[in-house]
Amino acid sequence: MENREQRGRRRPPQPQRQRKRRKKAVRRKYFDYTLLIMTMLLVGIGITMIYSTSSYTAYVKYNSAEYYLKKQLLYSILGLGGMYVTYRIDYHKYQKYWKAAGIIAVIMILALIPFGTKVNGAKRWLRFMGLSIQVSDVVKLAVIIVTASMICNMGKRYNKMRYVFFIWMFCGGIFAGLIWVVSNNLSSAIIIFGIVVMIAFVGYPYYLGHLSMLGAGGIAGFFAYQYLQRSTTSAADADNFRHARMLVWLNPEKYADTVGYQTVQALYAIGSGGIFGKGLGNSLQKLGFIPESQNDMIFAIICEEFGLFGAIFLMTVFGILLWRIVHVAQNSPDLFGTLLAVGVFAHIAIQVVLNIAVVTNTIPNTGVSLPFISYGGSSSVILLAEIGILLNISAQITREV
Amino acid sequence: MRLYTRHRKKVLFLGTAFFLMFVILIVRLSYLMIFQSEYYLERAQDLHERERNIKAARGNILDTNGVVLATNKTVCTISVIHSQIQDEDAVVKMLVDELELDEAKVRKRVQKVSAIERIATNIEKEKGDAIRSYDYPGVKVDEDYKRYYPFGNLASKVLGFTGSDNQGILGLEAKYDASLAGAKGQILTTTDAWGIELKGVKENRQEPKAGNNLYISMDYNIQKYAQQLAERVKEEKQAKHVSMMVMNPQNGDILAMVNVPEYDLNQPYVVTDAQKALLGEEGADLPKMEQLNRMWRNFCINDTYEPGSVFKMVTATAAVETKSVSLEEHFTCPGYAVVADRRIRCHKTTGHGTQTFAETVANSCNPAFIEWGRRVGTERFYQYMGKLGLLQRTGIDLAGEASTIIHKQEKVGEVELATMSFGQSFQITPLQMIRAAAAIVNGGNLVTPHFAVKMESPDGNEINEMEYSIQSGVIEPETSETMRGILKQVVETGGGHKAYIEGFSIGGKTATSQKLPRSSHKYIASFVGFAPAEHPKVMAMCLIDEPQGVYYGGTIAAPVVKELFENILPYLEIYKEKE
Repeated sequence: MENREQRGRRRPPQPQRQRKRRKKAVRRKYFDYTLLIMTMLLVGIGITMIYSTSSYTAYVKYNSAEYYLKKQLLYSILGLGGMYVTYRIDYHKYQKYWKAAGIIAVIMILALIPFGTKVNGAKRWLRFMGLSIQVSDVVKLAVIIVTASMICNMGKRYNKMRYVFFIWMFCGGIFAGLIWVVSNNLSSAIIIFGIVVMIAFVGYPYYLGHLSMLGAGGIAGFFAYQYLQRSTTSAADADNFRHARMLVWLNPEKYADTVGYQTVQALYAIGSGGIFGKGLGNSLQKLGFIPESQNDMIFAIICEEFGLFGAIFLMTVFGILLWRIVHVAQNSPDLFGTLLAVGVFAHIAIQVVLNIAVVTNTIPNTGVSLPFISYGGSSSVILLAEIGILLNISAQITREV
Repeated sequence: MRLYTRHRKKVLFLGTAFFLMFVILIVRLSYLMIFQSEYYLERAQDLHERERNIKAARGNILDTNGVVLATNKTVCTISVIHSQIQDEDAVVKMLVDELELDEAKVRKRVQKVSAIERIATNIEKEKGDAIRSYDYPGVKVDEDYKRYYPFGNLASKVLGFTGSDNQGILGLEAKYDASLAGAKGQILTTTDAWGIELKGVKENRQEPKAGNNLYISMDYNIQKYAQQLAERVKEEKQAKHVSMMVMNPQNGDILAMVNVPEYDLNQPYVVTDAQKALLGEEGADLPKMEQLNRMWRNFCINDTYEPGSVFKMVTATAAVETKSVSLEEHFTCPGYAVVADRRIRCHKTTGHGTQTFAETVANSCNPAFIEWGRRVGTERFYQYMGKLGLLQRTGIDLAGEASTIIHKQEKVGEVELATMSFGQSFQITPLQMIRAAAAIVNGGNLVTPHFAVKMESPDGNEINEMEYSIQSGVIEPETSETMRGILKQVVETGGGHKAYIEGFSIGGKTATSQKLPRSSHKYIASFVGFAPAEHPKVMAMCLIDEPQGVYYGGTIAAPVVKELFENILPYLEIYKEKE
């Protein structure tokens, strides 16, 4: 590893050439319309699908079909306002106040212990001025700012694997660890840690360290899978719910009436959509068969109503959005902008992949919402705010004419 | 801090990695939504769709004049839908009170998490309406048909009854089930997760097709009268069973078939008191099903007996047709006959003296018939039994016909032939006997006894008339004519005189069959009669099983047929001959 790094250091820095080119470039105000349009499209799809999935059950439960629709509309307006605010804030400010962001995040997590609202045995919500805030969503934004800032502050010193580990431990350890321990929310912890790892990966000059870690992780996963398949334990008497979920993942229909219910119902929805789907509003699985289908399982209903075409269309919209974020990251005026963009990219990409993988039972069930589409106030507002940050970065891109 | 190309490459690396993950997920989605689609769709449909059967109205059974013998009445099925129940205790209490059911059982059903749970079926409409009037959510009252027999126990062993699913179980109900039942309809409704049917979703409905109406040859009036008569005789003679059959000997139409004790078709699973008395103390220990099976038996077709002297008409027919004996011939009965080394007694131990052939029939003289049988010989004897349908089932449209029990022809010796000549040492069903008698007097046509005459679609547009085979010429018409004359003489001057009605021309033959073992001294008294003797339009048979006291067929069975004839002959437009 030492050799690799030394060679890397010896290589003549390419940016010199770029600097020359940039001098010739004419600065022009730049705005990424594609990014904005894709975001608006996703928000629109989200609102439509939340109405479609929730109207029946909302009517049954609250005697109002628009119950969730109205709330989500409000969150979206709030989020778009927030997006405009972050668009107008120069992203460099975040680098100055990263400590404040980190401390606020930690305080919010710790505040969950006395003030958190308990839902299904886990404390994830803070009530604040009449609003319920899901702390893990706020932490995701905070961790992007903190990680990006720390790496930039290290500057050229950030070229040894031990610094990478330090970032992992410091940012990942504190935020992901606290979320896991305090609110018993493993999926959010995984996402937060994933964001940290990806920012750390982009900031670091070399590949070998990360790739060997990935290899080691893959091998460990393979053995874990082998062990799990030979396990004779039944999901019904597994020692904890995570172990049970693993067993359900391997054989969902065996547990269709108990712990595997949600997974199997999602598969029914996806499978019964077929190639072209049943059409908007015609899902049957949303009629209480998939509980709270406007949340994490919303993609299954999209599959049922719009079929494989609809599913691929939605993934394409996400793909274009992510491609635009990659574009912003690659063309950002400085490393901090790049790392912020990478953080947002990681946040959205990890959640999309995990959500679809869970819904299709490609990986064991864990609660991850689908960005922009799933119902949820904090998540909508935070994601739109992140898009605002990206728009601000992209506005500072100089491009050649 | 500045941005280097290596950073850009790393961003691209991440982008590519996620692009690949997207591709994997799309492959997974395609697999689920193309190749697994059918599987999941089917499973999902199972989950969403609730199938409700609509029973088809079962066809009626009507007698020859259109009197309805079996029909339907509206009853209710009570079910609960667990997810819709609001006040469980109230529902349980209501169901227990109204239906008089066991509370624990009802509670178990009500608490069961299922789409729909049946609580009770075949509930009277008034009760169903009462339950509906509570208007409890989650309690469903569905109207439904139940088979109903307006005349209760009339012809119970012929009509049969239906099961809880309206399927024919016994008798004509079972035999013509396919046509009577019609075709079930279906409603496929879509429901949400709580089992509530969705409005506005298209409902798949398949209308039921009502069953066809069955017209039978039975005449309600004759059946009813015969049944009353049989009940009275059973009472008078303290007999076990009394069976009566009335048939048109020309075509096999059965006008009445009575087997008392009958049972209530509206409660076929209740062992009647009469049946309990019949079964006695031993019978009470039998399993319920066995008791019921015995109660449901139709003696006329399900059981065999030794026909006794009635059978002599078969021996006589064979003797006449094969010219083994001339009508002018005389036979002297000493009161017994010696066959091989056995001495067989005549019922008149002092002997009948010298008789003509016709007189041997009228006197039912055993030694004479031993002689006639011997002259006919085993081979021709069996041949005529076969011709007259006594070696195979009659083919009546009721299930469970018993078959003949008889010696193998090769093993018949002198003694066997002798006893068979007067109707012993083999067993047939009463129906086989009346059919053979019909062939003997109707000119030699072996008919198929039957009930069903036609099937009519509910709207009356399609009519399917039944056809039954008649084997003509099994004996010569001349022989038949001779036999009619001889049998008329039996009633006018011989053992059957108690069936004689002034002014009517009636033929017949009596029998007193010993039940096996002969040492038990139990008898079946019987009589077969027909009128008018010259051209029989109606034939009746009466069997009295184990009468107390006098047990001679001529004494106790012949008067029953006489009384029957007195009442039904005018009804059948057979009038007194003008002097």
